[in-house]
Amino acid sequence: MSAAVLRVVRVLARALAWIGLLAAPAAAQDFAAPAPAWPPAPALALLERGLPPPAASSCLAGTVTRWDGVAALVTRGAALGIGRRALRAALGVSQTGEPDVGWTALGLAVGAATAGAGGALRAVARRDRTTAFGFDARGAAVGLEVGGGAWVEATGGVHVWASAPQLWTRGEAPPLSRPLEIGGAVDFGGAALWLGRAGVVGHPRGSRGEYAIGLAAAAGPMVVWLVARDQPPRGGVGLSAATHAVRVAAEVEGHPVLGETARMSLGLGGGR
Amino acid sequence: MVVGAVVGPLVILTLCSPPAHPLIAEVFYDAVGDDTGHEFVELFNPAATPFPLAGARLEAGDGAGAGRWSLRWTGAARDTIAAGGRFVVGGASVVPPPNVVVTLDLQNGPDAVRMVWQDGATEVVGYGPNPLAEYFCGAPATDAPSGQSLARVPDDSDLGSNAQDFRAATPSPGAANLPGRDAALIGGTLTLVPEQPAPAAAATRAAAVVNRGAEPLAEREVELLVADVGETGDLPLASALVAVPMAPGDTARVQVALPGLAAGKRLLRARARLAGDAAPANDADSLRVRVGLGPLEVTEIQFHPTHGEGEWVEVRNRSGAPLALEGFSLADRHGPPGVPSGGAGALRPESLAVLAQDRLALLVAFPALDRSRVWEVRPWGSLNNGNDSTGVADVVTLRETDGTPCDRVPYGAAGVPAGVPLERRASGDWGPASDPLGSPLAPPRALPPLAARFAVRPRRLAAAGPRVASVGWDLPWPRGRVAVDLYDLAGRRVAAVLAESTVPGRGERSWSAAELAPGLYLLALTARAEDGAETTRLIQPLRIEGSAP
Repeated sequence: MSAAVLRVVRVLARALAWIGLLAAPAAAQDFAAPAPAWPPAPALALLERGLPPPAASSCLAGTVTRWDGVAALVTRGAALGIGRRALRAALGVSQTGEPDVGWTALGLAVGAATAGAGGALRAVARRDRTTAFGFDARGAAVGLEVGGGAWVEATGGVHVWASAPQLWTRGEAPPLSRPLEIGGAVDFGGAALWLGRAGVVGHPRGSRGEYAIGLAAAAGPMVVWLVARDQPPRGGVGLSAATHAVRVAAEVEGHPVLGETARMSLGLGGGR
Repeated sequence: MVVGAVVGPLVILTLCSPPAHPLIAEVFYDAVGDDTGHEFVELFNPAATPFPLAGARLEAGDGAGAGRWSLRWTGAARDTIAAGGRFVVGGASVVPPPNVVVTLDLQNGPDAVRMVWQDGATEVVGYGPNPLAEYFCGAPATDAPSGQSLARVPDDSDLGSNAQDFRAATPSPGAANLPGRDAALIGGTLTLVPEQPAPAAAATRAAAVVNRGAEPLAEREVELLVADVGETGDLPLASALVAVPMAPGDTARVQVALPGLAAGKRLLRARARLAGDAAPANDADSLRVRVGLGPLEVTEIQFHPTHGEGEWVEVRNRSGAPLALEGFSLADRHGPPGVPSGGAGALRPESLAVLAQDRLALLVAFPALDRSRVWEVRPWGSLNNGNDSTGVADVVTLRETDGTPCDRVPYGAAGVPAGVPLERRASGDWGPASDPLGSPLAPPRALPPLAARFAVRPRRLAAAGPRVASVGWDLPWPRGRVAVDLYDLAGRRVAAVLAESTVPGRGERSWSAAELAPGLYLLALTARAEDGAETTRLIQPLRIEGSAP
């Protein structure tokens, strides 16, 4: 192993350890996209995790997630992402679940990114659904969460990130508490390996957090990835295909007790 | 007292009975209850010639002090023991009637009886430990328990010690203590399987037979006869032969297949028949049985109360006529039967009553109950909470006061949530009650049909309020093993809502989410059929409202 590689590993390990020490009690919900943890998906990851995409491009994305096979719990969302020079911004709307358990979300994220680093602030406002149509629910509970995320290229092909999407919350509590998420990815040229850790609120073993490991491989316009998580052990597989104008992706994640969570997205623009 | 000796090459044996005299063969001094009229002393003449008893004296010894002998009977000129015969001196209540009726008033030991023969020879039989040698021969016999006699076994045994010659036995006045041929039914071994057969259904009567005689019995020599005792006499039902040879002292279990019987209360008598049986008095026993349903049935059992209400059993009058509950008893598997008291009036047809361990405590826990139908049972057989190796925790048994079975419910406690009673449903199946607290004096709560196999009501719990949801299921099986767990939206298990337990196919449980943080959760029900052949998993979302911290 060369001295340069060793140095990279040390820096990465040190960075992850440092971030891990700060890890407080954070997952995906309103704008969850079928994509590897790295690189951040255009528009959707900016809204969901506060991580701006490295590439400056604009896109329109739509996503559908069926949570744990539950028909009453489906998220439908749409987002517009804008990238001009270093500026990154996204605006999105989504609706989750049947009226008696669901909510409607409006998301906004603004940030900046270069080839070597990026960061953004994101905010999501939610309003409980009380009727089939989500915007006329007068008197329904409203909640707001504000957070952000950042990433940096530690060295060539090695990226680390941290995302704290709920730094500040007001009103109705979010459907899922999402403490700090940290992670790192190594790009081997055509393949990437990533490791992530997310805190867990209220979990008896909350101090342990939840770990995820993933591997992605690209072949031309296709990307395939595998991901595994603990607490409880589960795994998923995803596939995306992109041209300069259109990108489609799908991911299925299994659970030992609950049903499968299936995600699909369609993007226009945003490059490959 | 010591009247003879046999000198052998190595052993010198001192006899207790004087030679050429009858023997004291049996002494019955402690009847169950009042002894008066039941005591007797039996003499046995093993010789080939009659023995006149004129002038012979029977004395009772009070072992509390030396020389305290008192006369109880003196033989008259008409009193003779036939060759090989027996002569009983006893009270007026002895059956069969004794040769001479005398109130013996024997002490219960440590005491003795003594025969003083016409020629001055004596024989002493002592019972119970006593330091005074005049009250026993060799060593005193072990005191017989109440209801049993001290019997010389064999009848001519004379080993030089009361302790070796006598042992406790079923009283047999006028009959051999160890007859040559005697097949006896062992008391308390009569059973009927099933205990409460359906009308016209086959059943099996079983009993244990013992060879109490001195001679071995060949196979198929003893026959067990079963009869239905009616007002007009015994109606023979069936019989079976003992298929094995029986050495003296051997026991054998005999089963008799009975034909279908008509519904109602019956007294079934079993009798061991043996040609030449010298002791017919011990041949028969009887058992009260019920064919078909009894007038009272057990409908709910609270065996593990958690709210201080004590254990209780709900019963229903299914007789079609008013029933006086005082005429019934309740028992667990091993405890004595308890009798109800404290309620009032007869139980109307189809009405429910509660038999409680602690009536007041139950009324405090359920103040709306009709007090007249709440009865306290004493003594209360504490109902077990844990299963034994056969999977049964305990058996709740209802009987009429004459012992006739009325209803019998063996139950298992495995998988029954703490504090939840067991209830009998309309189908006749037993399972955890629909209402976790039970429904004393009310039929099982009928649950409304569910639109789905698994339902949570409501699916949104308001921030203000009790935050209690009803978790209901409607399984494709009559019973199943069910567990409900709670997961957050990220798929992480947060809590156990219902620990795995055996539940009826349709059921509900209330569950408090007061301790949970606001958010969206998933309730996952995992159910499997009792035979484990099928499994199903169902998921419902649950939204808990609340402000962000």
